[in-house]
Amino acid sequence: MDFQGIHDRLLANGAPGLLGVDEPRQPDPEDKKDKGRFGDAFVLVDPAHLAGFLQVCRDDEALNFEILADLTATDPAVDDENLWVNVALLSVKHRHRLAIKSLLPKAAPSLPSTTPVYRASQWHERECAEMFGITFEGHPDPRNILLPDDWLGHPLRKDYEFPKEYHGISCE
Amino acid sequence: MALLENSFEENVLTTKVDWLINWARLSSIWPMTFGLACCAIEMMAVGAAHHDIDRFGAGAFRATPRQADLMIVAGTVNFKMAERIKRLYDQMPSPKYVMAMGACATGGGPYYKYGYTVVKGVDRVVPVDVYIAGCPPRPEALLEGLMKLQEKIRNSSVIRKPARTA
Repeated sequence: MDFQGIHDRLLANGAPGLLGVDEPRQPDPEDKKDKGRFGDAFVLVDPAHLAGFLQVCRDDEALNFEILADLTATDPAVDDENLWVNVALLSVKHRHRLAIKSLLPKAAPSLPSTTPVYRASQWHERECAEMFGITFEGHPDPRNILLPDDWLGHPLRKDYEFPKEYHGISCE
Repeated sequence: MALLENSFEENVLTTKVDWLINWARLSSIWPMTFGLACCAIEMMAVGAAHHDIDRFGAGAFRATPRQADLMIVAGTVNFKMAERIKRLYDQMPSPKYVMAMGACATGGGPYYKYGYTVVKGVDRVVPVDVYIAGCPPRPEALLEGLMKLQEKIRNSSVIRKPARTA
């Protein structure tokens, strides 16, 4: 199924939290500053309903996304007020993919964990949590996965400041 | 030596204690099995048949720091690992030597500017005897570093005071 077909199927199923579509487009030839947008087409999903949305994607027979290929986040810019949570789903049976994007306000970066739906997202969510400061409510094991336990700050945020020293080792 | 030479019966050799101890040390530098990144692949190549680090008596990679003489820091050292490296170094018996293999272990390498978790040189954690340039260094470079270390050991002194340089 192509992206349009998947989107129609999601609409027909009444998938919770489906907000719209973010599709790539060519740059506007009139506006020289416009660079267009490249890459995959995303479906936009309300982060509060992300887990329920994924449940529909997994359990619907025509969609049948067995695999959560990726769950990550993006901090687009310092002055942007949102973080993006990006999810990539894959169906081996139907040979189709889906890219999902949730806009999460930086002021309160919190959303329900998707681990009840896909257990594969456990480690991905732990990485997102330490790198971007996102809280996944109900995560079964919310420890750091890569960074030391006492690490301060969230390194992949655009406003991150590098440490001056760590446990007596200078970073200058 | 000239006084002692040929003054004993056959099958007796005379030498200096320093020479003997240094010879024993530099001929059996046992490294620790310890690799952090892509440099470790080159280190493994040095251990294999083609380059054969065993020619230098340094092929016995020990799985514990308590039996090792040499720590080859082969790869990127991050802060989480740095504390473990310090602990491993402390567990090695003296005399012990450290080689910083490659750009990362020498000074942070490509992660110098934006590597927020990378230690900018393992010499901020443990004292380093030999630095090997390269990213990663070729196996020959690691052997060169080993020979440099052997040279350093050969010129060291256990009981004799080191020769004063003017």
